[in-house]
Amino acid sequence: MLRFVVRRLVLLIPILIGLSILVFLWIRLLPGGPAQALLGERGTDAQVAQIERQYGLDEPIHVQYWKYVQKVARGDFGNSIGTRRPVTDELKQRFPATIELAFAAMLFSVLLGIPLGFFAAKKYGTALDHASLVVSLLGISIPIFFLAIILKYVFAVKLGWLPTVGRISVLIDLEHPTNFYVLDAIIAGNMSALWDVLKHLILPAVALGSIPLAVIARITRAAVLDVQNEDYVRTARAKGVAPRLVDTRHILRNALLPIATIIGLQTGLLLSGAVLTETVFAWPGLGTWLVTAIEARDFPVLQGGILFVSVVFVLVNLLVDVMYAVINPRIRYS
Amino acid sequence: MSVAELESREIQLEAPSGLWREAWQRLRRNPGAIVGFVLVITFALVALFAPLIAPDDPRAQDLSLLREGCCPGPSTEHWFGVDALGRDEFSRVVYGARFSLLIGVVAVAVGLSVGLVLGAIAGYIGGFVDSLIMRLMDIMLSIPGLLLAIGIVAALGPGLTQIMIAVGATQIPIFARLLRGSILAQRENDFVLAARAVGVPRRIILASHILPNAISPVIVQGTLALATAIIDVAGLGFLGLGPQDPSTPEWGTMLTNTTRYLQTAPHLAIIPGVAIVISVLGFNLIGDGLREALDPKLRGRG
Repeated sequence: MLRFVVRRLVLLIPILIGLSILVFLWIRLLPGGPAQALLGERGTDAQVAQIERQYGLDEPIHVQYWKYVQKVARGDFGNSIGTRRPVTDELKQRFPATIELAFAAMLFSVLLGIPLGFFAAKKYGTALDHASLVVSLLGISIPIFFLAIILKYVFAVKLGWLPTVGRISVLIDLEHPTNFYVLDAIIAGNMSALWDVLKHLILPAVALGSIPLAVIARITRAAVLDVQNEDYVRTARAKGVAPRLVDTRHILRNALLPIATIIGLQTGLLLSGAVLTETVFAWPGLGTWLVTAIEARDFPVLQGGILFVSVVFVLVNLLVDVMYAVINPRIRYS
Repeated sequence: MSVAELESREIQLEAPSGLWREAWQRLRRNPGAIVGFVLVITFALVALFAPLIAPDDPRAQDLSLLREGCCPGPSTEHWFGVDALGRDEFSRVVYGARFSLLIGVVAVAVGLSVGLVLGAIAGYIGGFVDSLIMRLMDIMLSIPGLLLAIGIVAALGPGLTQIMIAVGATQIPIFARLLRGSILAQRENDFVLAARAVGVPRRIILASHILPNAISPVIVQGTLALATAIIDVAGLGFLGLGPQDPSTPEWGTMLTNTTRYLQTAPHLAIIPGVAIVISVLGFNLIGDGLREALDPKLRGRG
């Protein structure tokens, strides 16, 4: 097990090097550099040259790359060209926002998806089963941003129950030691702030959670259908184990394997969905950050941001594989 | 007629049918797949005959139709209402079918063909080439799909062709991995060994023995990829990376500024959105039906 983890971590190194080179080259392929984006069309050649010198953009590309790698190794992603703040500072604010959103979305989809799939399988062929199939089909067929717009229209614009944009109301005063606003509110013991933060979280989380909800419900249903006809389930029933125990210990426990894998895979995909959800709800996370950075040709933000997101993505996938081995004693990685 | 005769007749009925015929039989009995076919065929017909169906030019503006700065909803004149520039929404949605279908099909064709070539090479040649290709695919997969697509569009500049390439590129690693895995599984089969033993050249073994057997998961994935491609294309359009001419009736682009008019004109968001859902639903239903129909574990069962 340990050897497997170590080997996977070692395999990460070439991927990360390749990735950093790719991102580095790609950004330099973008039409129009940061100097043009910053100065607009009226910038003179001299001004452009000055900014390029200031950010070291006039040096040969391999020199730029080597300098960049050395800085990254020290945990320095450079300064954003747009806001002039260190990229790491912005990352510290943006990353918790996206993680909080992704976590809420995952919680929503797991808490709803597993029971939905489980009971659909138990009541195979009934109305509930059909309803779960429809939910999972619609979940993967509705574009996230469209669902987000509809939710916003119904619950924020028409009914006025929930806020339309952002993470917290402007009037609420809250310290942000962790930048996870839910945690911040709990630490401060500020219940009205907590309530406000949760209200802001609901719609984006439901929109973002729709795809994992669909996939989890579907996989759970299939897995339970598969497992409940196994010999050991029949044996358990025959020897008189309480139906409830059979459900939890024998069926759900074994159905959990494919479910856990899918949850892990979906966690990675959430990062893609977050870009669109954040755009609709003006959520100040990584997605909106990177999209604005592309428009502004903010090289340091793009390099640091994409590299960071990809590392998280790769690590999550590794974690999934490890988890998989932990839950499934039949799999032994060597 | 004796029972034995009845059974032998049944056996005769089943015996000659190949994988594809059997799959088709099963697909025809799957109500979900039928609905999927109906939706996709409707979608394709609308795209094909858009000029005949649409009552107006999708780009023709008529600002005199606007009331109080925005857009009247559905009426007998304009079935789906008009948009913020006084263009007929029904005509725009109808023409939008063309763009979505075209972009989706071309994007998947790009991803599929490049992915298949890479996957086939990796799976059949193996060794160093295999490692090189698959590590490259790993790198592509380590960037979240939509970000990769955004990145490619950003490098190439916004536009329809660029979107097709970008969405197609995100699908390359999926197809490459799928085909490689499928080929590795087929390569050890007895009939492949037999072909090699009698001296059939490698590329013919690949083309006529391995590929046909490895291709069915690719077809299922291809159908589902069409659904994903339509969603991704709409997503890029929604983020403002779509066609450079903003009057182009592309569904995702049509949704871009609708949040501003949600209070007064929700139809502007709902109509193109529903169009996307319907077309995506169609491909997903067919893909699911195909998966069940082609699953060897289910073959031979009713």
